[in-house]
Amino acid sequence: MASPLTSRVPAAAPTPASTTSGDGRSRRRSGGVGQIVLYVVLSIAAIGFVAPFVLMVSNSLKTAQEIIQVPPSLLPEHPTFANFAFVLQNSPYLVWYRNSLLVAVAVTALTLFTSSIAGYIFAKFSFPGKNVVFVVLLSTMMIPAPVLLIPSYLVMNFLHLLNTLWALVVGSIVSAFGIFLMRQFISAIPDDLVDAARLDGAGEFAIYWRVILPLTGPALAALGIFTFLGSWNDYLWPLIVINDQDKMVVPLALTYFNSQHSQRSDLVMAAATMAVVPVCVVFLFFQRRIVNAFVLTGIK
Amino acid sequence: MAATTTTPTPAAGPSPAPTPTANRLPGRRRQLAFVYGWLAPILALFAVFSLVPIIIAIWLSLHRYNQLAPVSPFIGLRNFTYAFTDDPAFLNSLAVTGKYAVVAVPLNIVLSLAVALALNHITRLRALFRTVFFLPAIASAVAASLVWVPIYDPQAGWLNAVLNLLGLSGRSWLGDPGTALWSVMLTSVWQDLGFNVIVFLAGLQAIPLDFYDVAKVDGAGVVSRFRHVTLPLLQRTFVFVFCLTTIGYLQEFTRVQVMTAGGPLRSSETVVLHIYQRAFGDFQLGYATAMSLILMLIILVIALVQMRILRSRWEY
Repeated sequence: MASPLTSRVPAAAPTPASTTSGDGRSRRRSGGVGQIVLYVVLSIAAIGFVAPFVLMVSNSLKTAQEIIQVPPSLLPEHPTFANFAFVLQNSPYLVWYRNSLLVAVAVTALTLFTSSIAGYIFAKFSFPGKNVVFVVLLSTMMIPAPVLLIPSYLVMNFLHLLNTLWALVVGSIVSAFGIFLMRQFISAIPDDLVDAARLDGAGEFAIYWRVILPLTGPALAALGIFTFLGSWNDYLWPLIVINDQDKMVVPLALTYFNSQHSQRSDLVMAAATMAVVPVCVVFLFFQRRIVNAFVLTGIK
Repeated sequence: MAATTTTPTPAAGPSPAPTPTANRLPGRRRQLAFVYGWLAPILALFAVFSLVPIIIAIWLSLHRYNQLAPVSPFIGLRNFTYAFTDDPAFLNSLAVTGKYAVVAVPLNIVLSLAVALALNHITRLRALFRTVFFLPAIASAVAASLVWVPIYDPQAGWLNAVLNLLGLSGRSWLGDPGTALWSVMLTSVWQDLGFNVIVFLAGLQAIPLDFYDVAKVDGAGVVSRFRHVTLPLLQRTFVFVFCLTTIGYLQEFTRVQVMTAGGPLRSSETVVLHIYQRAFGDFQLGYATAMSLILMLIILVIALVQMRILRSRWEY
């Protein structure tokens, strides 16, 4: 699954540049004062936006005594990593992390596969019942998640998948939105390409895998980022189907940990820091792609 | 899955190269084998986890279904009438959710549009600022909520510390029925702003600069350029952002559950939280499903009305 994604990186790079780089669109260079005011206002707002994260990290480094001190200190007086050590020693934090990673990677890889192959089929093939099936698929997108919560829980119960990681995966690997997005994207690929591959004697799956898939890089990246973040951050569904402590995923484990140590906000902040910081670091690396994913899927 | 029964050959893997001059008919058959062979398992999964649950939802809403009870009698629409006549907590949760959406949606839209406009006008450091505003959107709602809980703490919390510094008196933000909902909302807007900023920013940058130049020549000021050029040309983006944000906030669950658990005195109990508690606290799965269908209808109606009004108002 990784090859089409990575191979497309250079090819997709020019598109983001047009939306992100500021030069060329600096339309009003007149207002020097206006610019300064904007920078000041934005800076104050930005500090407000970052402050909660700074406080989270700061609190995670404080001692148990300092954390309840009034008034609170901005930076820890005696920074210590003891809270992190405590969290790692007294809870299966690494297991939670592994569970989250396992589920999110599986859901993402499978969703990308099912969405792209079904999207290709809906875009480039004709077969009886195609339109009816597609409309049914699309109409389910309008149903809010809470409606399907209880019935899906009963389905998982029936399949004996409650309290397993499977319950977090199997229901999420076919995405109506994903199929729709990929169909839109693949429709724009010329039919000639597919016909030419057929004339060369390529099998149908080979055409999908070697011709279509490599051309869908930006759409795959967008869908992949969305699916991964959605799965990684999901809370309500794991809350319903998972009970065992060692089957929990990170968001669920965080609330569980919080309930176990409700009076120790220093520990909770250490746990939260470990949940948030890695994701943010990954985000900083893939920032441009993620922003473009939001743009690509946001403005259809 | 159960797909193999319906199709002749699931064309899996790179199939061996056939005769070079394949005539139309075998080619067509191979294509159909590919279509059905791959679509069948995908649609089977879709049916089990999307279509079947919809049918179960309708069935559940018409029955008094309790997982712990041996029988579940058919009761028609009584779950629906019960919600409106005998469950004040549900009506309360509707009011809470309404309050939440009515305040948080415009707040989010106005602030994110303002930030996007500001980012669109500055010439340097745009990417840095955008990153800062977008970071909270990457964090899970649970983590974001847990980060804010100590900030609202009445004793050692930062919010009260800052207020005291300014000579104002603080309070127990999450423990006071008058402020709990608004406090959660502040966290939500903080977290969700970045998403809308990015979508608005992309919409703004898609507007051709010529329009502004023409408007300037015509003597239009900043305000009138915003009103007559930016807003109309941003309309599609605006409708999209407005509908999506509304739909999202009408389903608010995670942040209220983590930060207040709906309290105090149900002052922050949203509809989805009430549904969750009825379903998995009291095991009234039938009644809870009926309430979720009511919520779905409300969401659909509001989304349709919004699209209508917003489309027509700015159609030029």
